[in-house]
Amino acid sequence: MFSVAGNTGSTKTTSYKVVLPFYAYGALSFLVACFLLFFTARTSGVHYFTPHNLAIVHTMALGWGTMMILGASHQLVPVMIEGKLHSETLAYLSFAFAAVGIPVLVYGFYFFDMGPYTQWAGLLLVLAFLCYLINLAVSMVKSKHENVHAYFVFTAVLWLLTTAIVGVLMVYNFSYHVLPKNSLDYLPLHAHLGIVGWFLLLIMGIGSRLIPMFLISKYSNNRQLWWIYGLVNGGLLFFVFIFLFALSRVFLFIPVIAIGLSIALFGNFCYKSYKARIRKKVDEQMKVSLLSVLIMCLPILFLIIIVIGLMTTHYGNLNVVISYGFVIFFGWITSIILGMTFKTLPFIIWNRTYHHLAGKAKTPNPKDLFSEPVFKWMALVYVLGFVLFTAGILLGVPFILQAASALLLLSSLLYNWNVLTLFMHKSQIK
Amino acid sequence: MTNVISNNNIKCTIALAGLQDVLDPEIGLNIVDLGLVYQIDFDEEGKSIFCSMTLTTQFCPMGESITSAAKESLKLTFPGYEPVIELTFDPPWNHEMISEEGRIFLNER
Repeated sequence: MFSVAGNTGSTKTTSYKVVLPFYAYGALSFLVACFLLFFTARTSGVHYFTPHNLAIVHTMALGWGTMMILGASHQLVPVMIEGKLHSETLAYLSFAFAAVGIPVLVYGFYFFDMGPYTQWAGLLLVLAFLCYLINLAVSMVKSKHENVHAYFVFTAVLWLLTTAIVGVLMVYNFSYHVLPKNSLDYLPLHAHLGIVGWFLLLIMGIGSRLIPMFLISKYSNNRQLWWIYGLVNGGLLFFVFIFLFALSRVFLFIPVIAIGLSIALFGNFCYKSYKARIRKKVDEQMKVSLLSVLIMCLPILFLIIIVIGLMTTHYGNLNVVISYGFVIFFGWITSIILGMTFKTLPFIIWNRTYHHLAGKAKTPNPKDLFSEPVFKWMALVYVLGFVLFTAGILLGVPFILQAASALLLLSSLLYNWNVLTLFMHKSQIK
Repeated sequence: MTNVISNNNIKCTIALAGLQDVLDPEIGLNIVDLGLVYQIDFDEEGKSIFCSMTLTTQFCPMGESITSAAKESLKLTFPGYEPVIELTFDPPWNHEMISEEGRIFLNER
């Protein structure tokens, strides 16, 4: 005789209703950012601290990168921490605060109006990230399972909140002088807290869980992941220390080396996962995601050139500085999202549409819910646009920038087409 | 075929043949060759089937769909029996649990 149990409750995952608004918002933001880039492409190489560039960067960093990552991570947190998401209400609040705050902030940057609306928008973003942090922290405490990936995500969200608080102080500083120096002086601190602390740490944390999972790889190496975690956080903390205590620029090489080493270790982790994969065929979505691991080398290369420039001339080469920001937001972050969207969203839509029919009727494969040819064209046009735009900034040729921005706009339209196809999908089964 | 524990080997073989139609949507491989099914017992008096199975990842977003499909498959194979699915992560799934047929399928893809 046997004991009878119905323990399917432990498969309970985050509702699609929580996740889908983040994806929709992210996809639209990518389109908006590409439109803004297209209309300002010829002047985008002038300086990085221009209203238009600030608007584009924040649309990419917050509307596209952060909203997509928040959406995906609300879905993936249960997988990462091996426990349920604490509160869907907090997730909705995160979305609502960010969804209102981002466009107001971008509008403020575009017209360089740092008044009350932009200040309130910044505060709304702080609230959005605080909601997510609380949600994540309580979920982790409840789950009682400790794993390295959860620490990556939690620490990344702490850095995100710090980035937002520094950003808000910079906005207030235009009106109230809350900081000892000009807001522009804090730009490297604000930018690197966000790029390294939030994006790099989070992408490495989630990537080190998802890449072996999707490749069905036998490889795992928690010791190496802890090293990566230590190098990124140690490097960033040292950078903050250099910045706050105005140490010599020679010391800048220490965080650059630490973070560069962490990227090399992460690249090695991904390579070994790839080599130890059981499923030999790698789909197009994974190829685009793995491309982002290669693109991660570019910002480090540009950063080394910038640091050498700073030490020798006290000014970084402007074209290299702008390229550095471009390859991070339009290269590394965008390529991983372009790939991972179509590894996660089709399953979320499939669950929404066919969950109740599982085993009762023949349902389509999640991969068939979007157009594979459109995905391939999107990937091709995106890579061309990205390479051309980077070359255009480095060479300072406006015509190349305009042509490349048109290609990036086309890739964002193709991306949105496929996302819309997924969102509009209806069951064909009567 | 994988090493599935059962109190009725003949019926278990029939059940596994039916469960081979239940696929992991991401991998495209059936749950039997993937090694997700641990135990299938039959209670002839109570007309029920107990199936202990796992998932490749705990809190897998497709988990509920996979377990529902497994339940429906057992219902279809054994009309009149009430299947009960127990999801367990002890032992957790690992790559060694994939059958030889499953490995051939994954290598070919």
